[in-house]
Amino acid sequence: MATSTTGDPSRRKFTINKKYLPYLLSLPALLTCIGILIPFFTAVAYSLQRYRLSQPWAQKYNWGENYINFMTDPSFWNTLKVSMTYAFVTVGVELLLGLGIALLLQKRTRFNNFVSIMLLMPLMTAPALASLMWKLMTNPGFGVLSYFAETIGIEDMRWASDPSTAMLTVVIVDVWVYTPFIMILLLAGLRSLPRQPFEAAELDAVPRLFVFWRITLPMLTPFLLTATLFRVIESIQQFDIIYAMTQGGPGDTLTVFQVEAYLNFFQSTNVGRSAALLMILWAITYFLSNIFIKNWLRLREKARGGA
Amino acid sequence: MQKNSNLENVLRGVAITAIILFFMFPILWIFLMSFQTNETILRVPPSPFFEPTLTNYRSLISGKLEGSTATLEIAFMSNLYNSLFLSVTSVTVGLILGVPAAYAFARLKFRGSEDIAFTLLSFRFAPPLLVLLPLTIYFQQIGLADTYGGLIWVYQLIVLPLILWIVRGYFEDIPADIEYAYRIAGHSFWATFRKIALPLAGPGIAAAGLLAFIFAWNNFIFALVLASADKQPVTVGALAFITASGINYGQIAAGIMLSIAPTFALALYAQRYLVEGLSLGAVKG
Amino acid sequence: MYEKEKKLAKSYIDGKVSRRSMLRGMASMGVTASTAGVLVNAAATQALAQNGFDWKKYSGTTVKLLLNQHPYADAMIANLDNFKELTGMDVEYDIFPEDVYFDKVTAALSSGSSEYDAFMTGAYMTWTYGPAGWIDDLNEYIGDDSKTNPDYNWEDMLEGVRKSCAWNGQPGGALGSDDAKQWCIPWGYEQNNLTYNSRMFNEAGLTVPTNIDELASTAAEAKAKLNGVYGIGVRGSRSWATIHPGFLSAYANFGQKDLNVSDDGMLSAAMNTDVSRNMHEKWVKMIQDSGAPDWSTHTWYQAGTDLGAGKSAMIFDADILGYFMNGGDNAEAGNLSFAPFAANPEAKAPTPNIWIWSLAMANASKQKDATWYFLQWASGPEHALFGATEMDFVNPVRKSVWADAGFRSRLDKNYPGYVEMHDISAPGAQIYFTAQPLFFDLTTEWAATLQKMVANEVPVDEGLDQLAQSVDRQLKEAGLG
Repeated sequence: MATSTTGDPSRRKFTINKKYLPYLLSLPALLTCIGILIPFFTAVAYSLQRYRLSQPWAQKYNWGENYINFMTDPSFWNTLKVSMTYAFVTVGVELLLGLGIALLLQKRTRFNNFVSIMLLMPLMTAPALASLMWKLMTNPGFGVLSYFAETIGIEDMRWASDPSTAMLTVVIVDVWVYTPFIMILLLAGLRSLPRQPFEAAELDAVPRLFVFWRITLPMLTPFLLTATLFRVIESIQQFDIIYAMTQGGPGDTLTVFQVEAYLNFFQSTNVGRSAALLMILWAITYFLSNIFIKNWLRLREKARGGA
Repeated sequence: MQKNSNLENVLRGVAITAIILFFMFPILWIFLMSFQTNETILRVPPSPFFEPTLTNYRSLISGKLEGSTATLEIAFMSNLYNSLFLSVTSVTVGLILGVPAAYAFARLKFRGSEDIAFTLLSFRFAPPLLVLLPLTIYFQQIGLADTYGGLIWVYQLIVLPLILWIVRGYFEDIPADIEYAYRIAGHSFWATFRKIALPLAGPGIAAAGLLAFIFAWNNFIFALVLASADKQPVTVGALAFITASGINYGQIAAGIMLSIAPTFALALYAQRYLVEGLSLGAVKG
Repeated sequence: MYEKEKKLAKSYIDGKVSRRSMLRGMASMGVTASTAGVLVNAAATQALAQNGFDWKKYSGTTVKLLLNQHPYADAMIANLDNFKELTGMDVEYDIFPEDVYFDKVTAALSSGSSEYDAFMTGAYMTWTYGPAGWIDDLNEYIGDDSKTNPDYNWEDMLEGVRKSCAWNGQPGGALGSDDAKQWCIPWGYEQNNLTYNSRMFNEAGLTVPTNIDELASTAAEAKAKLNGVYGIGVRGSRSWATIHPGFLSAYANFGQKDLNVSDDGMLSAAMNTDVSRNMHEKWVKMIQDSGAPDWSTHTWYQAGTDLGAGKSAMIFDADILGYFMNGGDNAEAGNLSFAPFAANPEAKAPTPNIWIWSLAMANASKQKDATWYFLQWASGPEHALFGATEMDFVNPVRKSVWADAGFRSRLDKNYPGYVEMHDISAPGAQIYFTAQPLFFDLTTEWAATLQKMVANEVPVDEGLDQLAQSVDRQLKEAGLG
């Protein structure tokens, strides 16, 4: 089941070719990316150094010290907590919302097609610029959203400038920008599902909720995983929206990994600490992606086997 | 779907309306702002009624911004061109490199294929900030700093994993039977790839290309750090309207509208592939 | 081209015709006022060419600049042709938006790129760039007669400003000490004082506050009496930029310091004193009572926008921010007035902490002598006067420009109180921070602590103790404390 290609007699005559062919096909892509590995390893080396650009004379390997310092650094644990919360909440909301919209637009009508493209517009607005506009729209004086909030009775809504609503505000912006990404992937997935099981279920008058849970969702899982994978990687690395809206504040409410690392690098020029932070971020994404991809592969095989 | 009750239709309508409101209202508001100057944008309370002006678009397109004491040169149109050039070439290169690789991963299971595929995807994990400083230094040494070529290369980090992963999925969804039949009929591997596999995966490729295009378009840190002012994309260019003497919201809004336009046009054009064509159900039966 | 016009400008410079008749003459030739300014300066530049200095020594050389998008850069570019004509050199420049400008500078300098010969910077940034070895000590050039033209007049630069750009590179070393290196040349600078909306002040019958208690009470009164207006605009975002304007100016006025420097050169936190606690409490309360509701996201732009749009009654921030808001298409343009401000009732004079846009030379530059030609021209008296009178090159850092009657009257006409404010507070205007490489870490954390205090997440005294503790830890970690 695993490989539908093997065991096909016609392929045998190409064995010589076949052995090298896949490498030949994937090599250019790999080589292109591998160039980037060199700076990556340099960065790994930085993370193991005491390296502040403002104190070049004191640059030396301190091996794990940057990492060990994190253990006792409350701001690091706060960063970890905030980043994980942010990623969990945004991706969760975006998945639910994206799936909902995809289901609503599933039917192939002219209207649905147009709406689905139109909904991509937030994704086309560069997050850094979109955040500027959101900041204006949530301004307590000139902001149209603050005005709406007031008219429906929410007095003194302070959006991103209050610690209790700052996370909510940036999550809303993130949801606004990135839900369309998930929506379009899932919509494509929904429309590509084979019709037979659904037609059969309809004939048997199976309840729609049951169809959704037992047929649609399992078959859609590979798409859900792809969408989640890409969103999790990006969300846990979010910078543009958070930095443009709050610069990590108020207080330490939103000091996610990239904001901390950015400030460490560009403002404090503490390259060692910045690199160590980013290495941990990289390790987290690597770990999470591994889980996703393992499941993805398993489910794909299953879905194909079952189809 | 005939069984839909009236209530359900109403609920559907309400849901769609709410969704369109949430996602499109900010766009609409930005659109309205793009026809205003700060004088009407910064009003209390905000209002959708104003006398529209084309000043923002005019100054963006002509490249001249009339200030209180001087006329400012703005390079927005060349930023727009840079964005277009960088995104189109990056995605083209990404497709040329990524689609054959995706096909290899999907069809020809080979030793280490999953490892290589994962390695390729993992380039997406590395936070750009991590590699930026070493990258600038090495680019400096090999003469790629401040070149379009260097930028396009780095942009592969954004587009290639996305293309690879999505296209691979679509290839895997196409039943292999047609390709085998074609091969058995005596056609070469390349002919099969070109004449059968590629067209079948066309919609997937288009979708991946479009998404990759959007992500390349929205990037700004790479160009900012690696290139000089004349190679900056719109994302950096639009920040020029945040000036010491105030933020020109109208111009930023107009800039956003102008920068959405090409992508939106592309999406509308590719709509058939993106939304209609992504469905491979027909092939699958 | 412009031969006749240039002749007219020359006779104006030589004192043969008055400015008004010169301008009228120019107008009759179809030349606008600002072009006339450039031409006048062309004549001034020609006078410069005759001071016996070999201006043409690097003729044919091209220098490349990295510039922040800013009125100062605009003023320089407007006058650049005169430099090219004077020296026969060419100047190329890359302009980046302010939002990302310093990221670009850090990236360019840290990679060792030799692309840019000189660039705009702030004095605080040189506390990183200098020790990192990215920029050169300009004393070598300023003091060298063979490299610097006789009319450069370095002493003409305001002393507090000039010294604030000089540091010996030792953490905690006094700015402008005898062994200090001139890391950058001041170009234009900002004092932090009051800009208030005189229309609102009249309407509500308010008087201009003269110390921190009055500031708080006036702000509260303004908020109470004026509909939809908050009392006082100060920056509040989670950034060093929140600490350096009004806040540190007030803080320094109470004689408080950010860090203590021990005899052996070790640094330690100094913000948890009783006086500092008291001042912090007043500041926090003032923001809670009558600051912007979205104070914690306020940067330069929001503080300015609100003032210009009539959302705030006054700001305690850069004078030049008020200057910008009094023009353009701002709703309150023309209604703003300026006043010096000393937060401490017992202080004799204001002590504005300052921001200095300056010019620095990249260590990686391959043509430093030629670059210095540009730097001495761009920071010279001719360009300073041109920029200040014809463009928005304000505040000038040269005493000669502040003494210029044309400049003073231009300011007086459109910016009530501005000249007087500057005269009163300029003697005390300098950088009040301790120069050391952790400047950005410590001030960012200070800002975050203020945010927590304003949000009532932590009481002032506890917050200050936590801040001091963290500052000490970071100083130790960096080997400075």
